[in-house]
Amino acid sequence: MSFNFKGTQSEGELMPSTEANAFDIVVIKLDNGYNIGVDFYASRLRLIAKRKGKIAFPKAKIKQAETLPKVSVVYTGGTIGSRVDYKTGGVSTLQSPEELFYTVPELAGIARIEPQQLFNISSEDMTSAEWQKIAESVASKLNHGSRGVVITHGTDTMHFTAAALSFMLEGLNAPVVITGSQRSPDRGSSDAFMNLICSAHAAARSDVAEVSICMHSSSSDDRCALMRGTKTRKMHTSRRDAFKPINDSPIALIAQSGAIEYTGNSYRRVVREERRKIVPRAKFERRVALVKPYPGASPEIMEFYIGKGYRGMIIEGTGLGHTPVSTRDKEDSWLPAIKRAVSSGMVVGMTSQTLHGRVHPSVYKNLRLLSNAGVIYCEDMLPETAYVKLGWLLGNHTRDKAAEMLPKNLVGEIKGRSEYNDFGV
Amino acid sequence: MKDDSHYRKIGFKCGLEIHQRLATDRKLFCECLSDINASDKSIGHVTRKQRAVAGELGSIDRSAEFEEGKDRTFKYHIFRDRTCLVDIDEEPPHGINMQAFMVALSLSQAMGMKPVDEAQPMRKEVVDGSDPSAFQRSVLVALNGQIKVGSASVGVPSLFIEEESSGIEREEGNLISYNTDRLGIPLIEIDTDPTIPTAKAAKEIALYIGTLIRVSGMAQRGIGSIRQDVNVSISGGARVEIKGLQEIDTMDRFIDNEIDRQENLIRIRDTLVKRKASVGRPKNVTRAFANTKSKVLRSSLDADGRVMAIPLHGFKGLLGTEVNPNRRLGSEISDYAKTAGVHGIIHSDEDIASYSITKEELAHMRKELSITEHDSFIIVGGKEGQAEKAASRSAWRASQAMVGIPVETRGVNNVELCTTRFLRPLPGGSRMYPETDAHPIPIHSMLMEQAAGSAPSIEKEREFLGAKLTNKAYAEQLLTSPRLQLFKAVTTKTNVEPNFAASVILQKLTELGRQGVNVSSIREDRILEMFREYDMERITKQAIDEILKSLGREDEPVDSIIKKHSLSRMHRHEISALVAQAEKEGKADANAIRKELMSKYRLRIDGEELNSILASKVS
Repeated sequence: MSFNFKGTQSEGELMPSTEANAFDIVVIKLDNGYNIGVDFYASRLRLIAKRKGKIAFPKAKIKQAETLPKVSVVYTGGTIGSRVDYKTGGVSTLQSPEELFYTVPELAGIARIEPQQLFNISSEDMTSAEWQKIAESVASKLNHGSRGVVITHGTDTMHFTAAALSFMLEGLNAPVVITGSQRSPDRGSSDAFMNLICSAHAAARSDVAEVSICMHSSSSDDRCALMRGTKTRKMHTSRRDAFKPINDSPIALIAQSGAIEYTGNSYRRVVREERRKIVPRAKFERRVALVKPYPGASPEIMEFYIGKGYRGMIIEGTGLGHTPVSTRDKEDSWLPAIKRAVSSGMVVGMTSQTLHGRVHPSVYKNLRLLSNAGVIYCEDMLPETAYVKLGWLLGNHTRDKAAEMLPKNLVGEIKGRSEYNDFGV
Repeated sequence: MKDDSHYRKIGFKCGLEIHQRLATDRKLFCECLSDINASDKSIGHVTRKQRAVAGELGSIDRSAEFEEGKDRTFKYHIFRDRTCLVDIDEEPPHGINMQAFMVALSLSQAMGMKPVDEAQPMRKEVVDGSDPSAFQRSVLVALNGQIKVGSASVGVPSLFIEEESSGIEREEGNLISYNTDRLGIPLIEIDTDPTIPTAKAAKEIALYIGTLIRVSGMAQRGIGSIRQDVNVSISGGARVEIKGLQEIDTMDRFIDNEIDRQENLIRIRDTLVKRKASVGRPKNVTRAFANTKSKVLRSSLDADGRVMAIPLHGFKGLLGTEVNPNRRLGSEISDYAKTAGVHGIIHSDEDIASYSITKEELAHMRKELSITEHDSFIIVGGKEGQAEKAASRSAWRASQAMVGIPVETRGVNNVELCTTRFLRPLPGGSRMYPETDAHPIPIHSMLMEQAAGSAPSIEKEREFLGAKLTNKAYAEQLLTSPRLQLFKAVTTKTNVEPNFAASVILQKLTELGRQGVNVSSIREDRILEMFREYDMERITKQAIDEILKSLGREDEPVDSIIKKHSLSRMHRHEISALVAQAEKEGKADANAIRKELMSKYRLRIDGEELNSILASKVS
């Protein structure tokens, strides 16, 4: 493009504008690599030559030993599987193993990688429909000879997906590792590289037959933590060690070198001789809500869900598992609404907004009133996990069976013992 | 000093890049404090790996550089008030610091530049680990300016506001430690066109731009707060960037030396071409030195290393030829070897005996290299891998001597001699891409009015100082002094006589610095405090020396120093009492009393006040 910059005739490349630029601004890349925003009307742009907008990503051809275990990498979206066009800043997805090997050549020495792009969705935009698709894809990979599966995922709701897969992949006998990145891989400092390498090690070599999350264990690039999918939560908006086990400790710590250090936390192990096909149980009841009461929260919130015919609700209560109950103004109490919900057939589960610790149905009078009303106390289960579990239970079982199984451990989501070291904030 | 016509004759090209840290309250893209304070100690660190996602790594064995890049570990020290998650790449940048942005915009107006309509924050890839995010945020603010300094006029094509890098703390093998307190401090970069006509003009233009930034009142003071990079080339030579000059005084000497270096290297090239010189392949000659007593080589061999040698034909006498004061072609080659981690090279134009290498060992080595005594050689010892790399880089540099001058980034080698040494190949254009985490900054008319109104002007500043000071020499000195803002603060916030304030700020501090007082560590607000105490007649002129000396030792409030060292000025009634006491003791002579009291209370009694008391007594 040639353009007139305040009296000086200049040249540069026209860049795509973004939603951040003002409406009358065009962005031009100068020879020195800098972008400048110039007034569209005053700059009198003129086309000199057209250039191809898209650049081909470099690839690395690497011959892989047949003896390496096969690991499937399933992309679902998020920053981790993306590459940046350095000129425009535009993001697109890595597709072939060669592109992946160029970015993270170490992977080629760990496993025979089979990448597949399932979809490209930011994790905040996911629904249970995506969880079902991922579960089916993972099952198919494992049924077709993959030793383990790595799922790349946006980080925001990664722990919901991890919980959903934990329940959906019944009889899992292989490592399924979910990973992502907090810093996009276009910067040399991205956490994506180490997270992918450690996840590949976990999928190719660990004997953890669970769905787990593998992310940085600290702000340093030293080791990743392999954490149980049902007991892990994103606890920071931006740090690379945002994911923490809650009421649990990591299953293992994994170094980039491949050294896997099991922490002593118990986990379900891969049984080598067992070769059973996995048929995911992936139905999900979407009329389940996750609700958080707070001082002054109106019980009308519950009434709304009752009116809409919701079949389940997880309350993220205060402290040991409270909602407003013995309020000075009777109108503010949630108890009548809860009673109505239960008698309408809704399964109501209680977790805590403290996240850490276990709820209890009888320490205080208000707790006893709630549990007598039929609220199910969900032990040390995370609210998000309880939400996913209830949706899955109601999708696949009767109401009464669901109510019975909600407070019982199925896949590690509830621990009977609260260990001293599990509160390591 | 070369005369002006000489520069024209040799096709001299020279441009400057001036980098100045700004004294804003906060960093450019976060709320961390933006000064450097030695009392803010590191409270922890993170360690990180980085990988080369960028391509431009320079021209010498790029793949090897890449491998090295993968192995390095970076340690970033964290400071309580000066490092936050943004600095260590754990939080997206906050909005740009508008205080800093306005300084940039005002400066652009002082140089007749045209600001862009919407400034776009960019990421500039950084591969040395000095930025935890592996890029530096940089914004092009304005274009196409012009400045005139003396008879020279030069274009100022661009002005940037960007983030300062981390300060390197130490480098041990593959572990490099950085301090992140400095990271992210706003940095102004002003570039000139490569049309500066002479070395002297370069120095004047650098001084002008430096003064202009200081006059804005927003320049940070202290070591490393201003850095100037000089680009130099001559016809038949190559573009060389001399990085990080901190002193303007010697800039012209550095430039003239670079011209000499290029001219000498061209002469060497011509001789080599005439001699049909050649450089052979490096060879492992460890066997020749298996039993050597040479300390240099022995230390490599004892560490399971090896000795490599390179045969050179037609180089005799040239390796030892000086290209700059105390710098030979051999030193130029040695610089390249050092980048591989070895201590240096041994070459045949040196006194080989001084390395305790025997004739037999040399003969053995020559045999291995298939060369005669008329040929030259380079020997380099080091760890396995290092020695080979050092040898291959040396061979590359030696072969370049037959072609001309490599395009390089060079750094200061010797401050006294004003010589430079090779640092790294001149990078190709850094890879830049948009910083999508930070919002573009629209430069609308209101900002422009504000910028134009606050544009610094050296002329106005000169007038201002001229009006304040009767001593014109002080006025000129202050204009280019990093303490200009202190002077302005003292003379606007106190009633201290300006010429006296200037004499303390310009002369007294320099004098104390020469006596060994750590003047540069004294905070300016402390000096201002001291002038306030003086203004309130709580200390005497003579006590100022003592207070400054104390401040140089420890950073304490001035009033507690006054108390601790009993430096408070005596009240008139106290002095009167002392005079009365002296008279009582039978001393009638005013001179004798003055002498006695001043010798006892020199730092606490104001001489003029004593005189007036004595005069009133006499009358």
